[in-house]
Amino acid sequence: MELDLENPLTVADHESLFGNESDHMPSPNSISYLKSKDFLVSVRRQIISLILQLCADNFDPYHSFLAINYLDRYLCAFRLPHGKPWILHLLAVSCISLAVKMRKPKFSISDFQLKEGFIFDSQTIQRAESLILDALKWRMRSITPFSFISFFISLFILKDPPRVSALKSRAVEIILKSQSEIRLLGFKPSVISASALLSACHELFPVQFRSFEEAISSCSFVNKENVFLCFNTMQEIEREEFESKSGDCETAVNVLDQHWSFSSESEKTTERYQAKEGQ
Amino acid sequence: MEKYEKVEKVGEGTYGKVYKARDKTTGQLVALKKTRLEMDEEGIPPTALREVSLLQMLSQSLYIVRLLCVEHVIRDLNDDNDDDSEDSNSNRKKESNKTNGLNQKPLLYLVFEYLDTDLKKFIDSHRKGPNPRPLSPALIQSFLYQLCKGVAHCHSHGVLHRDLKPQNLLVDKEKGILKIADLGLGRAFTVPLKSYTHEIVTLWYRAPEVLLGSTHYSTGVDMWSVGCIFAEMVRRQALFPGDSEFQQLLHIFRLLGTPSEKDWPGVSTLRDWHEYPKWESQNLARAVPTLGPDGVDLLSKMLTYNPADRISAKAALDHPYFDSLDKSQF
Repeated sequence: MELDLENPLTVADHESLFGNESDHMPSPNSISYLKSKDFLVSVRRQIISLILQLCADNFDPYHSFLAINYLDRYLCAFRLPHGKPWILHLLAVSCISLAVKMRKPKFSISDFQLKEGFIFDSQTIQRAESLILDALKWRMRSITPFSFISFFISLFILKDPPRVSALKSRAVEIILKSQSEIRLLGFKPSVISASALLSACHELFPVQFRSFEEAISSCSFVNKENVFLCFNTMQEIEREEFESKSGDCETAVNVLDQHWSFSSESEKTTERYQAKEGQ
Repeated sequence: MEKYEKVEKVGEGTYGKVYKARDKTTGQLVALKKTRLEMDEEGIPPTALREVSLLQMLSQSLYIVRLLCVEHVIRDLNDDNDDDSEDSNSNRKKESNKTNGLNQKPLLYLVFEYLDTDLKKFIDSHRKGPNPRPLSPALIQSFLYQLCKGVAHCHSHGVLHRDLKPQNLLVDKEKGILKIADLGLGRAFTVPLKSYTHEIVTLWYRAPEVLLGSTHYSTGVDMWSVGCIFAEMVRRQALFPGDSEFQQLLHIFRLLGTPSEKDWPGVSTLRDWHEYPKWESQNLARAVPTLGPDGVDLLSKMLTYNPADRISAKAALDHPYFDSLDKSQF
């Protein structure tokens, strides 16, 4: 059975999704350890960029997403002794290989090896795969933020397909982009999912933001404070990115984002958005 | 694999040998299932990867035998002092591997929790032996509930067992626990028409749509098996002990009546449908004389011909038959 990241259990069963998601992420202790070691943070960054590079010709972004999910769980479970370039490369290739095998039946690992640089034979990759499988306890059917999208979208007040699909695709973009961000490592998949949808809603349908936020906060499966933290971190990243892109040229368009905060100001801001939309 | 010490061979699972073994450090008893991984050019085969990870996910349930870990061993063939020699292919393979210079044989061991008996042996011990006696109604009710729980869990994850039978249900006699085993590997290691040792897989629990050659079967196939197992716990002998696919169908038709288009639309268009003698249905209660009316009602809903009308595992859990069961313990 091929793995569908949006529906890993193959049938909608929200309780098991929320109940089991922690099995598919590193433990809090190992995450703080990883974050505290500059060496590991830099190794992680290098391997992620390799994975993205190796998957660049591949049209399915879920492959690299799943590979990075395995990488994070591996790095946290198994402390890397050193960061020799060939080891980083082998890890990248093996995580991709496992991810693609979970997703599609036929492929060749040579599609994912760089034209230059290290080329590994199948036995070497198999050994690395085994190490990763052991570290991950063979829990390869990862529960990811994508798994929760349809559940949270069902709480969204607007139901017309074009808007729902716009909201979803923007959220998917945000989730993909946020994966490499070390500040977001450690949030549960459901929390990332909820925050990404809220960010997308904030951007695309600001008028509905408040009701969406309330619906998500009142859902018994999620921890409101964590969604609040995660959402604000996402906004912060967005802002930094915007600032670095626009350099020092000041634009008024996104001024509202600069002063955004989750709950307390939302009423005020919503009003301003409504005023803006009405123009 | 040095971690484990083999105690004895406990059987031939459908997919390979099963050993009772002991974890050398903890003393814990485990069931070791050896599976041959077909080595391919691309490392670990995708099917094995997907099926084992599925098994890993399913075994989180209390009613499924727990997969403790997976040992992936690349072993040199020259060290192969295991009792594998009866496998006629293996010698040829060894030769060809040697000539290819490939002297490594990848092996995958699945390490499961060990339970001391299975439902078949358990029922047998109540039929023969020094103290033959029926299974108590409360125990039948509890076992059936746990079985439905396990099946509901598999089905809620989109997985069919397809080979439920008393031998595949492990039992802890002391605690009164029943767990489903031999699960999920169906797709990775091919559908079990013949078992690993070429003994014929039992047909007794096979649903009529499978026997009639339907290719689009679904969760109903497992519920049919659950029904047969339920009846067997009550009777202490199999409900439909057929020895060929044809005989199996006749056993079913004689008790439940030959199905017609009226009670099972589309039945006559199934691949292996023939004209059968037209039997009338018998009173099901007579086949399970010690079972009360609620139990007979649930059994008849599990043994419904049309798979679309057959009761689901989840609905079965809410059936009045279980009203008198203390569900807080589950």
